[in-house]
Amino acid sequence: MRIDDQALSIQQQLRRSGARRRRQRLVGHALVYAVMIFLALLFMLPIFWMASTSLKLPREIFAWPPEWIPSSPQWGNYAEAFGKYPLGRYMLNSAILVAANIIGGLISVPIIAYGFARFEFPFKHVLFLLMLSTMMVPGHIKLIPMFWLYQKLGLIDTYWPLILPAYFGNPFFIFLMTQFMRTIPRELDDAARIDGAGAWGILFRIIIPLCRPALTVVVVFTFVWVWNDFLEPIIFLRDWDSYPISVGLAFFQGRYSVEWHLFMGATLVSIIPILVVYFFAQKHLIGGLASIGIKG
Amino acid sequence: MKLLFNRKTMTLISVLLLLIVSIGGAAAQDPVTITWWTLASAESPEPAIRAVVEAFEAEHPNIKIDVTIMAESAYGDLMNTTIGAGEGAPDIAYFWETPWLPHTLDITDRLEADPDLSRDDYFEEYFNNWAVYNDRVVGLPFTVGANFVMYNKDVFDDAGVDYPTADWTPWDYIEIAKALTDPDKRRWGGDRPRGPFRAIWRNIGATKPYSDDSTTVEGYINGPDAVAAYTWLWDLVDSGATPTPADIEVLGTEGTGPVDLFIAGRLGMATLNNGHMITAANAGVNFGVVPEPHVPGNERFVHAWALRASIWAGTEHPDEAYEFLSFWAGPEGQRINMEIGALMPSLPAVLEDYPDAEADYFQGFMGVLNATQTAEWRATHPCWRGAVIRAVSDAWDLIMLGEIARDEVQATLDAMVEPAQAALEECVPRLGG
Repeated sequence: MRIDDQALSIQQQLRRSGARRRRQRLVGHALVYAVMIFLALLFMLPIFWMASTSLKLPREIFAWPPEWIPSSPQWGNYAEAFGKYPLGRYMLNSAILVAANIIGGLISVPIIAYGFARFEFPFKHVLFLLMLSTMMVPGHIKLIPMFWLYQKLGLIDTYWPLILPAYFGNPFFIFLMTQFMRTIPRELDDAARIDGAGAWGILFRIIIPLCRPALTVVVVFTFVWVWNDFLEPIIFLRDWDSYPISVGLAFFQGRYSVEWHLFMGATLVSIIPILVVYFFAQKHLIGGLASIGIKG
Repeated sequence: MKLLFNRKTMTLISVLLLLIVSIGGAAAQDPVTITWWTLASAESPEPAIRAVVEAFEAEHPNIKIDVTIMAESAYGDLMNTTIGAGEGAPDIAYFWETPWLPHTLDITDRLEADPDLSRDDYFEEYFNNWAVYNDRVVGLPFTVGANFVMYNKDVFDDAGVDYPTADWTPWDYIEIAKALTDPDKRRWGGDRPRGPFRAIWRNIGATKPYSDDSTTVEGYINGPDAVAAYTWLWDLVDSGATPTPADIEVLGTEGTGPVDLFIAGRLGMATLNNGHMITAANAGVNFGVVPEPHVPGNERFVHAWALRASIWAGTEHPDEAYEFLSFWAGPEGQRINMEIGALMPSLPAVLEDYPDAEADYFQGFMGVLNATQTAEWRATHPCWRGAVIRAVSDAWDLIMLGEIARDEVQATLDAMVEPAQAALEECVPRLGG
């Protein structure tokens, strides 16, 4: 009997402490979620303000006290923005440039990185350092020589100056990919070689499938960089209909004023593709960055 | 004597020669293409630009215009790149930066020989200050721009303050600004000048920062009139009736002036320009326009400018380029931009047909065009902007930040004499004076 009582008491104590732990865990989770919701709202605030501004009249934008939700939303601002400039066309142009750059990057970067990661050849380290050093050269310094070169090649006012470099490899991506490939065990190459695979077979059948996280980084970063690139399109493009969306948005900033309500509406629409890409790629992207950071 | 060629050969040669001549003739008649870079803006929107091209090509079937319309923020980079590369610059463009001027074509003779266009067709001061460089005509002034004070009538009515009139003084400006300021509504009465020795400086009497012969700053940069102007600025800053530079930055006017605050009714008065005037009118703001205040008895100045439309010196088709330039920046082109956009032409005969010519604000704007332009002195003294203004910027900053007492203004300016003199002496051999 005494033993039964003791057992019961222990059971009750265990149950109580279990319940207490569950409560503590619940409170802990609630706190974490509260902080995360707060931070998410904080980070979404600029986008919310952008959406709010896109629905205001010009005189309401800087009014005090600020009106977070416009009392009479001006939905027509969107139609006005898209009617004023061919923004749909510009977004299509940006999509073409992004696709061409991504394809170029996916072709060139793994091949070059594979060379650095798996092969020995004269001056390999010097060439790798030389390639890395090109990252240190500010883009503006290259503008005039690049313009001169493309002018001589007759490629001004075409998309080639904005696409061709991707097919020769981006040094930042080559560096990332080389580091990633170095973490893949060479035994896998050896096993493939025993099975009769050549260098290209090893690259396409073994290395590239294992590099998916790093390739996701290449895709997402290329997408964002090309979508947002402003300077190179303005230097190399001339035709009104060929501009990308980054240049199209700049038309809302005039010499004397900015059409904030139209600018915000157009910008909001223009960031949707980036948000969609990030939404679908975030799992791979975070995994890719983490693995490069840890293993590299 | 045997013929050198038989008849068949002679016929073939004749046909070939005829063919070559006819191809050459056809080539001579091919249209010449002129490249033109311009900007889309409220004053000159894309449809107006297309209309100019269409009208010109209809009149000149042998000249085709290849127009590139770009964003304002892109323009400088592109011009610098192509001028720097020595090729790829357009035949025609705005050459608004001083370093681009040596790359413009001298059109003095062409303009003098032009039966349809003359320098007298333009506002005289705008032509002299913006189309002439080192006694050469380097372009044509396209549109007119000027600063003036825009006042929000609703703000004035709300504060029960009378509207300003053209005879107001800089000290009236401060008093009115104080009366309009309402901290509860986060409303300021007026804005601050954006640099010394602009119109209001000169309206107070500080007409120049150094001597006409560009040899000395002593007595100019720290002379009694300059001290009076800087002290006026000190009083304005001290009044609390103006937004600070930080306020302007935070409230996001993107370097375009405080037009956004003005439109929102949070700034009772602001020194703006005719581009802002159109923006405010389109936004439905109830506003008026007056010249910047000045001291009675002093000459009245205006800070004014035009866009310089020029031909690139490297053009392969100078005659055709001039044909287009004189059309675009002449009466026909500016009229098209005025009617389709909102351009204020630099030709008085065209400007008088402005669609909103009867509006109060437009009449106010016309009132400032006849004042003497600050550019008149600046145009012949390039060292002011490039060198001396930097050397004296400390005085400006100290006052703007409220870091010195009112009775320290003179001493602060005296301390600027040495660096300003050194900057002037370094600059004059480089840029002239």
